[in-house]
Amino acid sequence: MIIGENIHKSFGDLEVLKGVDLHVQPQEVVVLVGVSGSGKSTLLRCFNFLEMINEGSITIDGKKVDPKKDNLTKIRAEVGMVFQHFNLFPHKTVLENVIEAPITVKKMNKEKAKKLGLELLEKVGLSDKADVYPSKLSGGQKQRVAIARSLAMEPKVMLFDEPTSALDPELVGEVLQVMKQLAEEGMTMVVVTHEMKFAKEVADRIIMIDQGTIIESADPENFFGNPQHERTRQFIQLVE
Amino acid sequence: MFELFGTVFEVFMRTYPGFLEATVVTLQLTAIGVILGTVIGLVFALMKISGSKILQWIANIYITVIRGTPLIVQIMFLYFGIVEIYTMSNFWAGAIALGVHNGAYIAEIFRGAIQGVDPGQREASMSLGMNRKQTMQRIVFPQALRRSIPPLGNQFIITLKDSSLVYIIGVAEIFSLANREAAQSFQPFESFLVVALYYLVLVMIFTYLLRWYENRLDVDKT
Ligand SMILES: Nc1ncnc2c1ncn2[C@@H]1O[C@H](COP(=O)(O)OP(=O)(O)OP(=O)(O)O)[C@@H](O)[C@H]1O
Ligand SMILES: [Mg+2]
Repeated sequence: MIIGENIHKSFGDLEVLKGVDLHVQPQEVVVLVGVSGSGKSTLLRCFNFLEMINEGSITIDGKKVDPKKDNLTKIRAEVGMVFQHFNLFPHKTVLENVIEAPITVKKMNKEKAKKLGLELLEKVGLSDKADVYPSKLSGGQKQRVAIARSLAMEPKVMLFDEPTSALDPELVGEVLQVMKQLAEEGMTMVVVTHEMKFAKEVADRIIMIDQGTIIESADPENFFGNPQHERTRQFIQLVE
Repeated sequence: MFELFGTVFEVFMRTYPGFLEATVVTLQLTAIGVILGTVIGLVFALMKISGSKILQWIANIYITVIRGTPLIVQIMFLYFGIVEIYTMSNFWAGAIALGVHNGAYIAEIFRGAIQGVDPGQREASMSLGMNRKQTMQRIVFPQALRRSIPPLGNQFIITLKDSSLVYIIGVAEIFSLANREAAQSFQPFESFLVVALYYLVLVMIFTYLLRWYENRLDVDKT
């Protein structure tokens, strides 16, 4: 569904990604882990073309993307992204947040968009909040709206960058629950998270990034039970 | 002390009809100065964030020149530069000078407000497939506008006071009236005290109104 090959990305002299290869199969859930600064966010941002790679290639749904020729706007619409800090639009109501892109980008008519928006809010358990502004929501509710907002564009793959890291502990569960449900419905997902319980339960594959390269890639059982790399062992000790 | 109250009151009673008329002129100058300044400011703010080196350069020159010279010089410059060439009333020369002056400050207000919008907003918008123009129009500008309302209100108050400088080209606003009254009545102290009170009351009224409006804006959305 999404294939990264030999991805290199530098910021000035700092090489953050040093040749990352990652094939994500349709309906697969991949959890990315790694210490702070290892390049997890940068990799996700490259997949969504919020950052441009210096070398290598990205293929989405069988189509190799050429950043020079292709319409990146259209490609971004196919790759949903959920951010650590939600980034809801504060000047729009919850429902307006969700239907903004379908109306502006897909030119969906307003009635149809509203219907879709309410369905998605129902799905994340927030239909009663449709008309309030984001400032009135808890962090967990904000993140669920952000997920609904992404889903409204019917993306082929969803990227999550530490979606629960900014939440109070008691609000983490409700967001992970929604993500788990998405995974069960067959959404292709790449998730950066420190929630190891979620990784064990939901991930098809866990990938460890260290200093800009993938050093471990295994199903949860093997990742935790039989890690190959010393750094992975250290990491597992750290989080458990 | 009591005596002073008496003479101030006497000056006030004698002059208020003229002052009320002059207050209208001051408010007109202020309103035109701010509205014109907002239009000019918007144009230059957009130039500054446009990404075009030439447009940025032009905007920078404008802002640097205006902010680097006194308003009173700008008023005189415009007056002798334009009124002499095109027949234009002193009032309009003064109002345009205030607008041109405000334009530079308001451009900076808008630019700051646009750049002050959380970059995450832009990213979220782009990640949903909105292009640069849609992102600016629908996500960034509405939030920037909201952020610029308090500093714009502040600029309005500054302009209200700055408009007094237009007396130099003989526009009959509040200060020029006080100036004339001071000379004619041989009561300069009382005259300027009265004019100070006029400005103070106006500023307090508008400060109150602006605060009320800002609070109303905040109720739901931030
Ligand atoms: N726009 C940028 N400009 C310069 N350096 C950057 C930029 N974005 C990221 N970096 C640097 O790249 C490195 C990797 O950052 P990245 O955000 O991908 O790490 P991460 O694995 O997501 O870490 P964390 O767990 O802290 O979120 C860091 O050293 C960071 O400082
Ligand atoms: Mg990160």
